Amino acid sequence: MSGFTAVLRKDLRLELRSGESTLALLALSMLVLVVLVFALGAARVRSVDAAAGALWVAMVFAGMLGANRALLAERDNGAIRGLLLSPLDPSTLYAAKLCAALIFMAVAEVGAVILMVLFFNLDFDASMARLAPILVLGAIGFSALATLLSAITGRTRGGDMLLPILAVPIFVPALIAGVKASAAALAGAPFESMGDWLKIMIAFDVLFVTAGYLLFEHVVGGE
Amino acid sequence: MPGPVVETRSLAKTYGPAVVLREVQLRLLAGAGAFIIGGNGAGKSTLLRILAGLEAPSDGQALVFGQDTRRLAARYRRRIGLMAHQSFLYPNLTARENLEFYAELYSLADPRACAHQWLGRVGLAEVADARVRAFSRGMEQRLSVARAMLAEPALLLLDEPFASLDHDGAEIVAALIRGAVERGACVLATTHGIPEIDGVELAVFEISRGRLMQHAHKEEVRRGGRIRSLLGR
Repeated sequence: MSGFTAVLRKDLRLELRSGESTLALLALSMLVLVVLVFALGAARVRSVDAAAGALWVAMVFAGMLGANRALLAERDNGAIRGLLLSPLDPSTLYAAKLCAALIFMAVAEVGAVILMVLFFNLDFDASMARLAPILVLGAIGFSALATLLSAITGRTRGGDMLLPILAVPIFVPALIAGVKASAAALAGAPFESMGDWLKIMIAFDVLFVTAGYLLFEHVVGGE
Repeated sequence: MPGPVVETRSLAKTYGPAVVLREVQLRLLAGAGAFIIGGNGAGKSTLLRILAGLEAPSDGQALVFGQDTRRLAARYRRRIGLMAHQSFLYPNLTARENLEFYAELYSLADPRACAHQWLGRVGLAEVADARVRAFSRGMEQRLSVARAMLAEPALLLLDEPFASLDHDGAEIVAALIRGAVERGACVLATTHGIPEIDGVELAVFEISRGRLMQHAHKEEVRRGGRIRSLLGR
């Protein structure tokens, strides 16, 4: 457990010190939402479907940036080798990296939700509380997937370009479920009505958290 | 009698068509100090990375504490200290924070006290709270040595530990190597020229065209405990 907390605390300390990831995530979220608001036009700007779609597009972009950055610090000065040589279990390293990516993404999500409410003329009401668990499920799934994939793509030339090419198609089932569930939540629908979408998201989360936990050792082992 | 700390059996490493190491036989016991000399690209760093378990050999076997380095369990990894070309340090953390982080990874009893102690040993106590990104290459090198030695490893692998160091820095690192050998650690270092370390018997190997040859051992140690350069000086 001390290895997990040491890596997580180090990542958060580095982020607090530079603020690079969080600022970039927020700026990217804002950019995506602004572009979509103008692209959709005034007629659709009160549509919860459009708002949910825009929110998830912003989340996916922000999540990719966050996951890339979570492992970037380990590549400076070859620090990943220092971690692999230490007694730290690679699965624990994955758990800490996933947790850090999740925290960065959660911060970006809070910012993105505020911007979505403002830009799409929505209200801060009970629908936000229904939206929260959906976004948490989405963030867990995407962070788990992107953390695993960024460990692979970071070792290749042009890995930053490769990550979205790999991550987005794999994330599509959870993305569709997230958009549908979010639109339903924003429209005030009860949780029971979005059960199937939530099940898909939970299955996606379980699958990729487990895959990351089991495979991370093999993915970073040859660093 | 305990077995060798390091043992390689017909070790070979190739990268595509390039043969970096071939038929490397090496055996080092606890308390042994050895330097490997060789030109750029000779395969010195590759050998250290294989022994640290960071790279797999293409052929043959590398054993550390009797364990195959391809499958080193955590309890064996924690007994290895590696100082490589890359420092493994975080530029945006301070020197103290870097050492505390690694001390926590190795579950050392008091990470803060440990970091403080090692910063003093490598002469960086006054810049303990400066970020590593502001360090000179030599300062970073000293901190990297401290990081590698933090957990008092039984096997210390040092890749050109004297590169970039000024006279004082080289003296400090030499003293730390001597201390490690005296407490029974096995030290294997690469270098371009042989440094002078008082009171330590050093075996010297040379890698040439991928082959490792033992050059000298005790007989090269002068009466004063200094080792003469094998490079003709």
